[in-house]
Amino acid sequence: MTRFLAGRIFAGLLVIFVVATLTFFIMHNVPGGPFDREKVFPPEIKANIEAKYHLDKPVYKQYQYYMADLLRGDLGPSFKYRNRRVRDILADTLPVSAQLGVLALIIAVMTGVSAGIVSAVFRDSVFDRLSIFGASLGIALPSFVLGAFLIWTFSYQLKFMPPALWESWRHMILPAITLGMAPASYLARLTRSSMLEVMDKDYVRTARAKGLSGAKVILKHVLRNSMGPVVTVVGPLVAMLITGSFIVEKIFSVPGMGRFFITAVTNRDYPLIMGVTLVYTTLIVFMNFVVDIVYTFLDPRVKLD
Amino acid sequence: MGWKCGESSASGPEDTLRFNISSEPPSLDWSLATDHSSIQVLQNIMEGLTRFDEDLNPRPALAERWEVQKNGSRYVFHLRKDARWTDGKPVTAHDFVYAWRRLQDPETAGEYAYHLYMVKNAKAVNSGEMDVSELGVEARGPHTLVVDLDRPVVFFPMITTFISTFPMRKDIVEKYGDNWTEPEHIETCGPFYLSEWWHEYRVVVKKNPGYFGHGPYLDRVIFYMVEENSTALSLYQTGDLDVVDPMPPPSIPSYENSPEYKNYPFFASYYYGFNVEKPPVDVPLVRAALSLSVDRSQIPRIIKGHQIPNSTVVPAGMKYANLKLGHSYDPEKGRKLLAKAGYPGGKGFPEITIGYNTQESHKMIAEFVQQEWKRNLGIDVRLRNMEWKVYLKKLQHDPPHVFRLGWILDYPDPDAIMNVFTSDSGNNHTRWKSKEYDRLVNKASIERDPKVRQKLYDRAQSLLCKESSAIVPLYTYTINMLVKPYVKDFPMNGQDLLYLRETKISGKEK
Repeated sequence: MTRFLAGRIFAGLLVIFVVATLTFFIMHNVPGGPFDREKVFPPEIKANIEAKYHLDKPVYKQYQYYMADLLRGDLGPSFKYRNRRVRDILADTLPVSAQLGVLALIIAVMTGVSAGIVSAVFRDSVFDRLSIFGASLGIALPSFVLGAFLIWTFSYQLKFMPPALWESWRHMILPAITLGMAPASYLARLTRSSMLEVMDKDYVRTARAKGLSGAKVILKHVLRNSMGPVVTVVGPLVAMLITGSFIVEKIFSVPGMGRFFITAVTNRDYPLIMGVTLVYTTLIVFMNFVVDIVYTFLDPRVKLD
Repeated sequence: MGWKCGESSASGPEDTLRFNISSEPPSLDWSLATDHSSIQVLQNIMEGLTRFDEDLNPRPALAERWEVQKNGSRYVFHLRKDARWTDGKPVTAHDFVYAWRRLQDPETAGEYAYHLYMVKNAKAVNSGEMDVSELGVEARGPHTLVVDLDRPVVFFPMITTFISTFPMRKDIVEKYGDNWTEPEHIETCGPFYLSEWWHEYRVVVKKNPGYFGHGPYLDRVIFYMVEENSTALSLYQTGDLDVVDPMPPPSIPSYENSPEYKNYPFFASYYYGFNVEKPPVDVPLVRAALSLSVDRSQIPRIIKGHQIPNSTVVPAGMKYANLKLGHSYDPEKGRKLLAKAGYPGGKGFPEITIGYNTQESHKMIAEFVQQEWKRNLGIDVRLRNMEWKVYLKKLQHDPPHVFRLGWILDYPDPDAIMNVFTSDSGNNHTRWKSKEYDRLVNKASIERDPKVRQKLYDRAQSLLCKESSAIVPLYTYTINMLVKPYVKDFPMNGQDLLYLRETKISGKEK
């Protein structure tokens, strides 16, 4: 167990280091700089700004500075939001995205997994067909279309949901549905196919032959054994959902972190690009670790060592 | 964290204005702020020496009067004695000296330091060649500010309306460092004070009871940061916003007959520039032919929003604008000029490229111009779009044959756009240089007689847009907004200044 933990922590840190290094050099190679403006300012001003943020130094030197700061836990100043540190920006926005993401995750898991189970149990029924259709639609529909449709329906036509903003629990519902719909659809399909595969296994047939009731077979033998692929997907999904979505946050004006995955790049806000990348990578690494642990509960054959 | 409670809600009381500034203000430090959203907030929580009136003339604000000395190269500002910071301390000339020196201090690295480059020694201080104490600004007592300029500048009182020239509290900046702009630390002296700043979501300002001037009439303004224009329009329709600016262009036609719809010129020009070093547009005849062959009157129909077709660079509706000067639409003449340049009917004309940054309206205009030049001159044009920062880099190092740009004027004077095309301007991506043009623009900037200034600018515009045809001006921008009928005296001006001091809410149903 200790060896496993030490190995995973080392591997996780290595992944984070490699991602950070690659991101650093790739972003510095993208044309255009953080202070390139439509109104070009005089060379004296450009020199002052570059000196302040070490942009006048070679990239490898900037990398050294960045990594040294990172080891001290300092993510640096934002180049776009000049009075703010990246740490503060993430501390303000990540909890909002996480709140929305958790809600979306609950929606995704509850609806997706239950729909998948019912579809598998009542294979080829009307519900199954409707569920497959709904899941295909949910995956195919872009979130900006779904978001616009929900606003039109629930804010304009039925007038019982606010179209945007982040003022109360009511403001969270439409963005959470929009964000959770695609993963719900994906989970429904995954759960269904995984269940069907397990239902064809010999040990399930044996359980049935021994006279166990249908419900017991599903709950005791099928469900547990078919959750492996679902858990594998849910791990990274958690990281994805709680770090926010650019489109959903933009459509519903949610003050989350998701926007920075795009705007930090378009602004060439190097420290902020690094900040969101590191948060996302760390979460992915952590969630994969959690998934490995969950496997041991689902399948006794899996040992951490 | 969930949502922050108590400060405000989407349905505010009658004296609350809910306005969308579209994005997070990157900074409320007025030595660093450059963004529109930051400026919109700062214009309401701070005051400068001067402030624009409705006709965009600079009027006394913190300065109750000023004297012009030394033939226009010295300004002596006499400050009001009743102006107070939000903690009750008086606003003094020393606060201006500190702010102006801080702006020029290389360590501040303020992008708008150049706004005050006309102040004596400013450039040398900003480049680290002189100490900040050498800057040509001095406090003679608490209420007299003396400013020495490198040269006479007739529009200097306009410059002192800028946020970058506002006074600043040394004790606060030094005590709180980068965090001094947060509501719990900042001290301001404008009609409103900063009450809440929920980053990435909203800024709330409230009426400053200690404000020296009349007003404000609103108790509170909530500046939301709704990035998506169509979302802002939805919030306006559901009554959660009182003003929408800008409107999403596709929605404009459906509101054109509504009394809530407002449209007026915005002092900004949209133009196509030529890289005059790149054949075949290195020949003035070719450039003139291209400029003559674009029917600018079609543009408002294409991109919507009632833009004002303009073949000159000084925006329509502004002082010294003269829309008759540039090339009018004359494809016949264009064809003749192109033939004279050696390309009859466009034969032998090499393919040229129009570059633009990726955005729907720029694409629509580029496709239109491409069509016009094909139809009128028989030439082939390739379109090339680029991501914004990539595009800016391209303009700096290797501009395409034709490139699109827009220019928003920093102050309502032709100098703010005419100086873009001078020989030593870093913003002149055309690479066109004319000593005569430079002379005219420099002379106009110090000329006090409006009639002489008009002549100088007319001549310079003719040179730029017609005789040399270094650019193809296309249109003057417009502002398209929706304002609820209960919002009275909402500011509407060509500079898009958001002075909310006079704005009232009246007759709103609760």
